[in-house]
Parts: sequence; C-alpha cells; structure tokens
Amino acid sequence: MARIGVFICHCGENISATVDVGKVAEAAARIPGVAHSVDYKYMCSDPGQQMVQNAIREKNLTGVVVAACSPRMHEPTFRRACAAAGLNPFLCEMANIREHCSWVHEKGDATTEKAIDIVRTLVAKVKKNKALQPIKVPVTKVAMVIGGGIAGIQASLDIANAGHRVILVEREPSIGGHMSQLSETFPTLDCSQCILTPRMVEVAQHANITLHTYSELESLEGFIGNFKARIRKKARSLDEKLCTGCGLCAQKCPTRRIASEFDAGLGLRPAIYVPFPQAVPNKPVIDREHCTYYLKGKCRLCEKVCPTQAIRFDQEDEIVEVDVGAVVLATGFDIKHSDFFPEYGYGKHKDVIDGLQFERLASASGPTLGEMRRPSDGKVPETVVFVACAGSRDPAKGIEYCSKICCMYTAKHAMLYKHKVHHGKPYVFYMDIRAGGKMYEEFVRRAMEEDGVQYVRGRVSRIFERNGKLVVKGADTLLGARPMEIEADMVVLATAGVAQAGAEELAQKLHVSYDAHKFYAEAHPKLRPVETNTAGIFLAGACQAPKDIPESVAQASGAAAKVAALFSQAELVREPLIAVVDRQAPPLYSSCVGCFLCQSACPYQAIEKEEIRGRDGQLLKTVAKVNPGLCQGCGTCVAFCRTKSIDIQGFSHEQVHAEVLALLNRGDRDA
Amino acid sequence: MNALREKARELLAAKTVQVVIGYGRGSGGSARAVFMRAPAQAAELIFDATCLQNLAVYLMKPEVRKLGKAALVATPAALRTILQLAAENQVADNSLLALAPVGEDIMPLATFAAIEAHVAAADHDLSAAEGAELGKFAAMGLEERRRFWEEQFSRCLKCYACRAACPLCYCTRCTVECNQPQWIPVPAHDLGNLEWNVMRAMHLAGRCVNCGDCSRACPVGIPLYLLNQKLISDVSSVFQARSGMAARSDNAMSTFKPNDPEDFIR
Repeated sequence: MARIGVFICHCGENISATVDVGKVAEAAARIPGVAHSVDYKYMCSDPGQQMVQNAIREKNLTGVVVAACSPRMHEPTFRRACAAAGLNPFLCEMANIREHCSWVHEKGDATTEKAIDIVRTLVAKVKKNKALQPIKVPVTKVAMVIGGGIAGIQASLDIANAGHRVILVEREPSIGGHMSQLSETFPTLDCSQCILTPRMVEVAQHANITLHTYSELESLEGFIGNFKARIRKKARSLDEKLCTGCGLCAQKCPTRRIASEFDAGLGLRPAIYVPFPQAVPNKPVIDREHCTYYLKGKCRLCEKVCPTQAIRFDQEDEIVEVDVGAVVLATGFDIKHSDFFPEYGYGKHKDVIDGLQFERLASASGPTLGEMRRPSDGKVPETVVFVACAGSRDPAKGIEYCSKICCMYTAKHAMLYKHKVHHGKPYVFYMDIRAGGKMYEEFVRRAMEEDGVQYVRGRVSRIFERNGKLVVKGADTLLGARPMEIEADMVVLATAGVAQAGAEELAQKLHVSYDAHKFYAEAHPKLRPVETNTAGIFLAGACQAPKDIPESVAQASGAAAKVAALFSQAELVREPLIAVVDRQAPPLYSSCVGCFLCQSACPYQAIEKEEIRGRDGQLLKTVAKVNPGLCQGCGTCVAFCRTKSIDIQGFSHEQVHAEVLALLNRGDRDA
Repeated sequence: MNALREKARELLAAKTVQVVIGYGRGSGGSARAVFMRAPAQAAELIFDATCLQNLAVYLMKPEVRKLGKAALVATPAALRTILQLAAENQVADNSLLALAPVGEDIMPLATFAAIEAHVAAADHDLSAAEGAELGKFAAMGLEERRRFWEEQFSRCLKCYACRAACPLCYCTRCTVECNQPQWIPVPAHDLGNLEWNVMRAMHLAGRCVNCGDCSRACPVGIPLYLLNQKLISDVSSVFQARSGMAARSDNAMSTFKPNDPEDFIR
C-alpha cells in the first residue's frame, strides 16, 4: 500500500498569496494513499527539507510529492533530501503550483482548486513511480577543439594544461584565425601578433596537444564522453616530416599572382605558400586550384628546389579516426564584404574596403608593410570615412543584430590612421556608440578628443566616385539631419560579423542547434552560455555570436573548465530518465517488432539495432535498443511506437495515464 | 492460368520454394488463399478477376513463415506491400519469390530491385472512381464528416477483421492489447470504436499501400479505405512521399527534413 507524503510550500507569499495552502494540505490528506500532508513557509529551506526527511523516516513513506515551484528549480534539492533520508530520489515528484498556478491566476477558490488538482495528479503519478538508478557512462578523456583561432587556442591550452589530451582541428594551413590578421588591438593598442604568436607556438609545442591543420571534421558519431570523430587531413602535397619550412619553394614558385587570403585580398601569394611568416606549423601547402602543375601537368619547380625532397604531388587526403570525450566548437566568424552593399558600389570601388582589409593595411606584416596607402593607386589617403554598422542593425539587410565589435575597432582604425597620417582627416559615421567594457568608453573618447576623429551621428546613404574622389553622402542627425557630403580618398566599412561559411553544415554534422543567422545556439542564454543543447559539445568564441578577443578568450576558458569538469570523473553519471525498449520472456523476447521507424524519429541517433541470439548463436529476433548515453528522454520514439514497446523511465505510460485519470476523475474529490 | 500452374509445379518440384501462396476457388464462386506444398496441388491455382485479396498478409503470419521459403502470387498491391515490409525491416531480400501475373504470363520477381522496377513501371494513382469518392468525402464540412464517421463507426463490432486482413498490421502486440495502461478502451462503444479506428488509421499513415483488404474484410461494410486513401493523398501532397515504392525508404511520418512544410503550426 502506498504511503505518500505531500509537502505544500508557501514559497514565502509567492504561492500562499493566491492559493489557500492550508486547504490544499487538507484536501491532499484525503487523497487515498496519502499518509502525511503538511504546509510550510519555505519548504526548500533547511528546516523544510528536514520536515520531508523526518516524515520519510517516521511515517515510512513510499513516495513524496513536494507542491512548490517548477521541477527545474528545486527538483534536485528535494530528490537529494529524499535520498539522504533513504528514499530512492526518483520516488520524489514536484507538483508545480507556483509557475503553473499561483503566479498565473488571481486569488480565489478556483486557483486553490487547481492547486489541489495538480497535487492529486502528482500523487497519482508518484504511486506508480519506480526506484531508478543513475546511469554510468565511461568517459574518454580526450577533447577535440574545432577551430584554431584565439578561442580554439585558448580552449586547447587550458584543457591541455589541466592534464588532458587535446586534438585541435583547423581548416586553414595555419592556426591563428582572424586575430593573426589584426594590426593592433583595442583598447590598449598592443600588437595583435605579438600577443598571439607565443600562444600559437605554445600550442605547437605542448605535449598534450595534437594539431591537425588544413583539416576538417568529416563526421562525429557517439555521445558525451564517447564520441568517434573522423578528421579529413587535406593533402598539403608535402611530407611534413621532411619539410624544414625553409621557404625556398614559395620563393621560387612561378605562379605568384593569387589573392592572399591572409591579406584579405589586398596582397598576393604564390601557389605554394605559408599564409604568413609566423604560421604554425610553418609548413607550406600547395593550392591545387592555382598550381600550374595541377592545372597544366608541368612545372614541379618547387620539387626541384626543395632541399629535403619533401614535395609530394600525389599525396591524397587522409582520414584520421579519433575517440574523444568532449568537443569544443570554436569555428569563429566571418564578415560581410563590400560587395554586400549596392548603395556603396557593390565592391566595385577599390578604395571602399572592409575592416579586415584595413587591418592588413595598418599592419606591419601587411601588403604595404604598415604604411597607410590605399589599394587603388597606393596614394596616402588624406580623408578617410569610416562607416560603422555597415549591414549590422539593419533589418532591411536581414541582419537585425549588433555585431558588437565594430564600434571599438572603428575607433581603433580611425586612431591608427591618424597615428600614421598626422595631417589626415578621419570621419566616422555611426548610429550609436556601444563601448561597454573595461577601458572601452575611454578608448573611444580618446579617439574623439585626443586624436581628433570627427564622429558624425548618421547613416551613409550612398558612395559614388566623382573626379577621382569617393563621395560619401550622409546626414548629420545631431545637426537637424543636415545632409553631408564628404569627398574621401578611402572608405572603410565596418561590415557585419556573420557566421562562417559552412557553419550550418558543421552544426548538422554535430547535431548542434543554431539560430536564424547560423550562429551556434547556447543551451541557455544566461546560465549555460558555453554549452550546446548536445551534451558534451561546448562553444567558444565568435561562432556563437560576434565577440571581441577578451570575450572569446573568457568563453574559451569557460568551455575548457566545463571540459575539465567532465574529465574529472572516470564515469559520467546521468539521470536515468531515458527511453527503454521492453524485454519479455521467450518466445516473444520483446513486444518490439523491429520496424525501426523509431530510428528515424529519434533526433539524437540513440536507437540501435540489437540482435537477440540463442545459445547456438542463431538469430532469434532483431529489436530496437536505446543507447543510454545518447538518449535525452524526449519521448518522440514513445509517441511513435505502434506497439507501445518503448517507455520513458520516470514518465512511463502507466504514470502519465494515472495522471490523466486523476484529472478526469475530479468527481471523486470530495468523496 | 496455365503458366501460373506450370511455374508453381516447377518451383515446388525443384524445391526452389517450400510453399506457393496463391488463389484457389472458394465457396460461392469467390477466390480464397491456398498454400501449395506439393507439385500435384498446383492444379488448384486460379487467377482471375475474383482474386483480390492481398496475399502478402500471409508473409507475416508465423504459421506461414514456419513453412519455409515462399513464392507468392502477387497483385500490384501485394508487390507494394512486400516493398513496404522491406522498408520496415520485416522481410529480407532474396527471401521470397513474387509471381506477378502479366496478362496470361507470369513474371517471377526474386529481388527487391526486380520488384521495385516492376512497381515503378505501373500506375498506382487512385482510379477515377476512387478519386471522385474521396473528393466527395474531402468536400464534407468538419461537422458533416464527424457525423458520417460516427454513423459508420457505430456499426463497428471490434472484431478486428480489418487488423487481421491488413498486411501492415503485423505487430505481435497491438496497441489495443496494451492494458497496462489501457489507452484504447476495449468495448465496442462509441468512444472505443472511434479511438480504435482513428488509432489504426494513424498507425497506417505513411505506410498503407492501399490494397483495400481492410474494407473488404469488414463484416459491417465500414469504408475504411476512405481514411487510408485520404492519408495517402495527404502524405503525398505534404511530404512528396509514397509508401510501397522502394525497399529502402524513410517513413514520411517519422522522418524530419529541413524543408518539410510547417504550415500546420500557426
């Protein structure tokens, strides 16, 4: 016979202000099977939990219903309390009479009646609850970090320094990401490469880090603690072990007029190249789309000059398979380019450039060696217009969000320009200045006040060429929307930050959710910002949303801490609220008929085939089996199974049916 | 007919198959299923306009499975059934032989690929008469439709003949037999009848191959085919999917595709 304890919480006045809690306790006491029913001001407080534990011991309770807040709030609290008193934690249920009742209704009898109904429902359920044991899953203590920008580098180093092995996968020939392209960084104006390259070298030299550059994730299978990743190492056309990185091949390569990705298209590179001198690893790749040998079948000059005979024209992509326990996604972002803007000439004016191109112009390692010369004719621009919010915060362009980093880097750009061209005139067109952050506002003020950057609050409507000048038409909204026309020598668009090309495809490979802009979605916007909805896959950096360097680094360390916490135990303990396929005595073995329609319905790839075999090894039946590591307990398979052969532990057919009946049979209430 | 009998005799004599499932003459001029296990029995086989039953239903019966490898006289609906059963992992390739009558001749189809090719060549759209009847049903208002089915289901005896005749109702334990808890009420009252028939129609959505045996089996003449045909036409127009056309296919109702229309969410 069930002996259920019901504990009604006032939640201060959150519940008791609209629900007559005394009456709920009285009504609960009359429900058949309820052995104990009390109300208390704060059930989650220490004395409240003590009440629950004492009642379990004294009244020998077989189940507990705590009528209080949402189970998301305090279910773990009360389940722990029950466990401490010797009751299996899964025999404790929450009746949510706060979010589902007191908060959403006026004070009155009907509200109290509803609270009683909710309690009655959960009492009916808990009578059918079964004691469950947590699921233990082994953990492979190796992390895979996808993306070798500053976020991926930081996450890799932090995880590696915690003593765990890391596999870092980078799509480009070198790690470093966008940060390696930057000239100076706000708000301190320290050189980007000077602070980044030591970290890059540390990654390469770290005993715990295996680096796969020029590589992409092919597939990921498995579940938290137990992923199997296949990594495609694209052919560098080079024996990396033999190559010393002397650079002779790149010097001699006759195909030299290829737009350099590293210089954002402003510089040129040969067909065999390292992206930049500080690249890690400092080993070239052959760009097969442009190399004369791959196009025309002759040349092989690099092969001839290579002192170690490291060139391998016939090298093929290699697939590396690794077991990993956690994945950190740090694939970064991209920016819209000037061809996204018809009003600014669709990118046809050479001197209308984007922010990354300006970084390269300002960088000592850039195509102009840091001299401020415009792309079209190499002249020093006397007047430069910086356009903030180019694309961002513009629903008409489909980008409603703020790209966050542009206010700061535009101030930095204008400042750098002024530092290099003292007599130059920088203008900034802006909508609002968003300079929240340590020393950020001060930095922008410095641009305005010390470096004499002209800030114009207004948007640029058009840019066109006239007499060799770029005419920037806009308005100054602080001066009564006075139309403005500036004849500029160069225009820098702070274009919107967007998701990487291929972000969606990768998300689908990993079964990670993403938003309308293809930025990866965090599990909770406030409380779980570095986790995805897929257990064991974490986020770092601008693949989640546009972010600056300090924020990316902080999030990367956060993700690394999550990985380290996951790896701190030999086994992963999970709640057993998962689907199970029924098993029965022979000759049925299971009521599952093996149609496997549940397999396609499962959003987590948790359903496997299990072959039931006799002692002689003969196949008796093939039935579905739920992988307890992968199942998230969503119940889609349960709804889909025609034979009702699948049940969710903790939310079984019997439990849900009992709840429904308890609601339908309201007539018995006063009996 | 002679070609069929000859083929059956040959298959049984050579022991290529252990049983030939075909049609024989039943009472009152009707056709009934026969199970030939010796070459001499082959003379009983017939194939004419009375041979309507979908014999693929027997492929899933344990008593028939026990007999060994089967050859099956297969109408187009039976061929679609075999492919749908294959898609649901119920029959293995090369495990049976379909004998498809083509005019006076017989075409043996040993593999799913052969069956797929044969099925693809034929037209499986609803006939003009079927289409017109479905149109009439679809044109009813919601209230009228509800009254129509209430009247139809009021005659249901819960004899489960529809289930026994359906080749895709092969579950060893039907939902209606789950009594812990009993979601679908067993008695043949209005609610129980409605729940049973609606549940069965939904379980066949995206799976039914429109053989029509449920309606033929119904002793009180409930036009169950209307429910199935409506679901077939909806699944086809919404998901561009058709059951029984391929041995490996994703079930429309359990498969999510990013381009699935979501206009039902309002």
